[in-house]
Amino acid sequence: MVDLSQYLPILIFLVIAVGLSAAFVFLPMGVARLTGAHKPNAEKLSEYECGFPAFEDPRSQFDVRFYLIAILFIVFDLEAAFLFPWAVSLDLTGWPGWITMMVFLFELAIGLAYAWKKGALEWD
Amino acid sequence: MDFSTSLALIAPELVLSLSGLVLLLVAAWAGDRSARVVSVLACVALGAAFALCIPVVSGGLAGPDRIAFDGQFRADAFASLAKLMIYAASLAALILAPAFLERIRSMRAEYPVLVLFSAVGMSIMVSATDLLTLYIGLEMQSLAAYVLASFVRDNTRSAEAGLKYFVLGSLASGILLFGMSLTYGFTGSTAFDAIGVAVSGELNTGALFGLVFVLAGLAFKISAVPFHMWTPDVYEGAPTPVTAFFASAPKVAAIALLTRVLMEAFGGQVEAWRQIVVFLALASIVVGALGAIGQDNVKRLLAYSSINNVGFILIGVAVASTQGVSAMLVYLAIYVPMTIAGFVAVLMLRDGAGDPVERIADLSGLSRVRPAVAWCLMIVMFSLAGIPPMFGFWGKFVVFQAAVQADMVVLAAIGIAASVIGAFYYLKIVKVMFMDEPAGVIEPAGGQPGNASLGALLAICTLMISPFGFLATGWLGALADRAAASLLLLA
Amino acid sequence: MIGVEHYVVVSSILFVLGVLGIFLNRKNIIVILMAIELILLAVNLNLVAFSAFLGDLTGQIFAMFVLTVAAGEAAIGLAILVIYFRGRGTIAVDDVNRMKG
Repeated sequence: MVDLSQYLPILIFLVIAVGLSAAFVFLPMGVARLTGAHKPNAEKLSEYECGFPAFEDPRSQFDVRFYLIAILFIVFDLEAAFLFPWAVSLDLTGWPGWITMMVFLFELAIGLAYAWKKGALEWD
Repeated sequence: MDFSTSLALIAPELVLSLSGLVLLLVAAWAGDRSARVVSVLACVALGAAFALCIPVVSGGLAGPDRIAFDGQFRADAFASLAKLMIYAASLAALILAPAFLERIRSMRAEYPVLVLFSAVGMSIMVSATDLLTLYIGLEMQSLAAYVLASFVRDNTRSAEAGLKYFVLGSLASGILLFGMSLTYGFTGSTAFDAIGVAVSGELNTGALFGLVFVLAGLAFKISAVPFHMWTPDVYEGAPTPVTAFFASAPKVAAIALLTRVLMEAFGGQVEAWRQIVVFLALASIVVGALGAIGQDNVKRLLAYSSINNVGFILIGVAVASTQGVSAMLVYLAIYVPMTIAGFVAVLMLRDGAGDPVERIADLSGLSRVRPAVAWCLMIVMFSLAGIPPMFGFWGKFVVFQAAVQADMVVLAAIGIAASVIGAFYYLKIVKVMFMDEPAGVIEPAGGQPGNASLGALLAICTLMISPFGFLATGWLGALADRAAASLLLLA
Repeated sequence: MIGVEHYVVVSSILFVLGVLGIFLNRKNIIVILMAIELILLAVNLNLVAFSAFLGDLTGQIFAMFVLTVAAGEAAIGLAILVIYFRGRGTIAVDDVNRMKG
């Protein structure tokens, strides 16, 4: 059976965190309701953006070129993660390990050459 | 086992991946004008890989000599027979593509490269003897396949097919991976033989969950019911040559992979997975047969028929003996030309504007407009229905025979009953083609480009599933028996 | 003491959340991609935890392969999504319905 007492610290933390955040949200609302005048009208409830109606959807699209570069970065970056375990264990894997990694890097280079030639790395 | 011996064993994969890389650079530098040349070179590479696999199959090679990379990979007769089918189906996908894609100006030089990479992935899948190799092969095949499904970039249906295939395929990979992680955790190894030793006594709950998740993930990949819902949509939306490819090669690879996982890693726990496989088989047969009724698109119909066929193939797996595996391989060897012939016949039909015809109603009176195609399609339909003179009957026969000999009579009986239901719809198409008045949609045979290669491919595939196929039963049976024996040798 | 079962429970919860995220999400296909990543991370957690408790390195190597493949998968998924968006102008899940099913 799981011993629940070891989770006591996280329970205390959660109680305090939830309590504090609830206080921050609800306390000002309650105080405002008690002290201020409560007279809403259409103007007051309308959204506020420096006195103008919103020009465009705030979740606007951004340039697809960022996305292309980012994807290429993620792929090449993560493939490079194999280099670290390979490097520390090279004395165990020996020449076969070295050859394998060179082949792998060569394949990555071909991928990069393809992306380059296709113009994926051009900004304009 | 030293490094060079291992490299010699993966010769087919090496040929394919090296040529894939070189052709990728050719595609980048020479551009889409080189699409034809790249296709031809890819066909040559597939042919070379095919030739490299033949001696392994005909010699029935098996045993420790065929293990590469310390038990990660095994190039035995079973894997090589599956590879022969995979390479042949990939070759067909390459031959089919130019005629279809060039007309809509979507033939790019990357198409053959993607097919090659997918073929390498499938090749790794069928040879995998470790969960890690299995996963890499499966993902390599899937990632190339997602791109192929959405290959016609300006067609929204193709993009939607690619998107659906991607989402459900990744979900399947995730489920499979979760199962593999549980299997690893509760058996302590990712190698199939070590897993086999670990589960030989009692199957603990964790490993059982692993098995169930692995089965569910692979059932997605072979589109067995209840994990089939993506199949009709993807088959309808993807470009027809790609659909022909999806319906043939990846099915062979995933089923061979499933068989190896079940027989090698979980071979000591047949009772644990047999009921699941039997359920998948029966559900696929019934849903495939019933779902075909009411379809008005030929590609959707063929999708349901592939679901139906997967059910029959799974009966062979469920038998879990040398005979069952052999029957399954024979069925696959018949299924591949049968399904390719179906899609080629559909590809050859064009309307007045040159657009592909996909509606079943438009097929009416085909026997008068395009008699040769109609006769071939009739042979395909009879073969799919398993009506005796055609070779498709033989596949069902060996599978049922294996089931009956393993005392699974009920399974065989339900399968036969469901195939009668399925036959109704295939026969209805034959009736539409031969009895109805021509709809006037399909153009008579003309000088459409690329029709010669399509016609040749259709003729070859149809010949294989026609009654002439029975001439090869002895030879095919012997090959399949040896391949099945090689699978079970080390289990 | 936290045992391996705790990790399995957490990763199972993550896995179920990921699967539910795919099926219950009605809004945006990007969310589906994130749910797929969540599934793969659940698997990785499992693999690394088992690897640590079994004292066997295979699990960690496996986790690394999963990570790299996941990157490739996300790249391809986003690429297909962009193609789809160019054609349809929307990535809402409810609009993926050109074909019945």
